[in-house]
Amino acid sequence: MRIELENVRHVYAPGTPFEVEALRGVSLAIEPEEVLGIVGGTGSGKSTLVQHLNLLLVPTSGRVLVDGADVRTIRGRELRGRVGLVFQFPEAALFAPTVEEDVAFAPRRLGLSEGEVHRRVGETLGLLGASHLAGRSPFALSGGEKRRVAIAGVLAMAPEVLVLDEPTAGLDPATREDLLGVVRALREEGTSVVMVSHDLDEVAEVADRVCVLENGEVRAVGAPEEVFYAHPTTAPSTVRVVRPLRGPHPEVGRPVRFEETLAALKGLLEGRV
Amino acid sequence: MNNRNHEGSRHGGPPVVSCENVSFSYLDSGRPALGEISLEVRAGEYVGVVGPNGGGKSTLLRLMNGLLRADSGDVRVAGFDPAAEPFEVRKRVGMLFQNPENGLVAPFVEDDIAFGLENVGVSREEMRERVRKAVRAVGLDGYEQREPHTLSGGEKQRVALAGLLALDPEVLLLDEPTSMLDAAGRRGVLERLEALRGARTVVHVTHHLDELLDADRVLVLGAGRLVADVSPERLVSDPDLLRDNRLVLPTALRLAAELGLGPAKLRTPEDLAEAIVEKSGARAR
Repeated sequence: MRIELENVRHVYAPGTPFEVEALRGVSLAIEPEEVLGIVGGTGSGKSTLVQHLNLLLVPTSGRVLVDGADVRTIRGRELRGRVGLVFQFPEAALFAPTVEEDVAFAPRRLGLSEGEVHRRVGETLGLLGASHLAGRSPFALSGGEKRRVAIAGVLAMAPEVLVLDEPTAGLDPATREDLLGVVRALREEGTSVVMVSHDLDEVAEVADRVCVLENGEVRAVGAPEEVFYAHPTTAPSTVRVVRPLRGPHPEVGRPVRFEETLAALKGLLEGRV
Repeated sequence: MNNRNHEGSRHGGPPVVSCENVSFSYLDSGRPALGEISLEVRAGEYVGVVGPNGGGKSTLLRLMNGLLRADSGDVRVAGFDPAAEPFEVRKRVGMLFQNPENGLVAPFVEDDIAFGLENVGVSREEMRERVRKAVRAVGLDGYEQREPHTLSGGEKQRVALAGLLALDPEVLLLDEPTSMLDAAGRRGVLERLEALRGARTVVHVTHHLDELLDADRVLVLGAGRLVADVSPERLVSDPDLLRDNRLVLPTALRLAAELGLGPAKLRTPEDLAEAIVEKSGARAR
C-alpha cells in the first residue's frame, strides 16, 4: 500500500478565536515496506499528520491518496483495518477483562471467523513477547506490558501500514529495544511502519527514511544520513558525536545507527581508516 | 544486597520523605509491587528513581502522595502519613503524572495552571503573577487561552509542569516529566528543575539516565525491591548493575564505554566528540 499526502492543510477550529493551523501544506509519500520516521518538536504537527492516514482527520484542503484513490472515496472502517493507528499512551483505551479479549476486539469487528481471530491474537501476542499475559487483566499489568497489549490490539487487524505515535514514551530502555525489534520484524514481513517520535536516537536505529516537521511544514525528508547530517538541530546522538569529527577526519563517513557509528569511531581511533 | 550499592544519603537536611519496610500489592497481581522498601529523602535533595517497567517506581510515588495506602510499613512525608492525611501532604507535595492527559482539568491553559493555586487560598493577584511566571518558565507564552485538548502531548506535559511550578510545593514528585518532550523541551524542563536544586526536594522518576547525571543520588527499583541507592557516577560505571535492571546508558555514554573512554566524565555527545579528537590527535602525533 502506498499513501500519498498532497499539499495537506489542517486547521483546528476554523473561523473561531481558537483557530490553529496545524499543517500548512504537507506533501509526503509513505512507500510500501518502509519504516518512515516522523520527527519534529512538540506541536510541529506530527500527531495531526498521522491522523490523516486513516481518516480520523480529513484535510481542510489538499488530498490523501491510498494507492492513487482519494481516501474520501474509501469507507473509514475498511481503511482503518488496513492502516492501523496506535495512539500516544494507547493503554488508556484498554477495556476488556482479559488481555486475550482486548486484543481480539478489533479483528472480531472486522468480521473474521472465531478461529482466525484466535489465531491472530495468539500470533500477535507472540510477536510482542506477551503470550504469557493472555489470561491476565490488562489493568493489573505494568506500563510496558500494557503498551505491548495495546499495540497488539491494533496489530491483530493485520494492517498493511502500522502507524505508531510516540510508541516508546514511558518505556524502559530494554522494553524500548524490544519494541524497535518488533518494528524491524514487521518491516521484514512487508508491513510499512510510520513511527512518530521525539526521540531521534531511536528513529536513527530503525528508519529507512526520515521526515522532519517544523511548524506544520516538511522541513526535510530523505535517507537518515542525508537528513541528519544536513540539519544539525535535528541530529541523533550518534550524528552529534561524528559531525564535529568530519572536519579533521572526513574518512569517518556518515554513520547513523549505533553499530555502524561504533565501528567508524573504532576505526578512527585505531587509525584503520 | 551488598554495601557498595547502598551509599545512602549524604545530604545534611532533615528527612522529608521516609519509607520504612513499606509493602504494597495491587489486587489481581501475583507478586507485591513493592516489598519491604526502606528509604529516606532529605530536604533539598535531588533524588533520581530508575528501574524497569513494573519495578515499582510509579507505585512508590503514589504511596508518597497518598493515592495508594501501604499494606504494611510506614510512609512519612513532611511529617504526615499521606494515606491518613492526604490533604496535609498535598499542600506540601506536588505530583506530575506520567501521562499528562491524567492531570489536565480546566477549559483553558491558564485556568489549568491556576487550578492548584485555587485550592490553597492564594490571592487573585498573586495567582496571576505565579501563573505568568510558570507559563514563561516552561516556554508556553501565547498559549494562555488555548484549550488543553488542542495541544500536543509535549505541550500538555509542559502545562502540567507549569501548574506544579506555580504551586511551588516543598517536594516535587515527578513521574517521567519529559517523556513526551523533544530534546530542546527536555533541556528547558531540566534547567527549570536544576534552578530549584537545594531550595526544594525533588524525586524524579525517569528512563533517561542522562537526566540524572547531576542528581545527588539514584535509587534503582527492580521487581518491587530497592536494588541500589548510589551516586549517578557509580551507576553509569557499573555495567552489571545496569544490565541486571534493564537500564541502558544514553547513546553517547554507551559509545564512550565501548570505545574505552570512560562514561563517567562525559555528559553530551559533543563531550565525546571532543574526547575523540583529543585521542586521535595524540595518536597522529
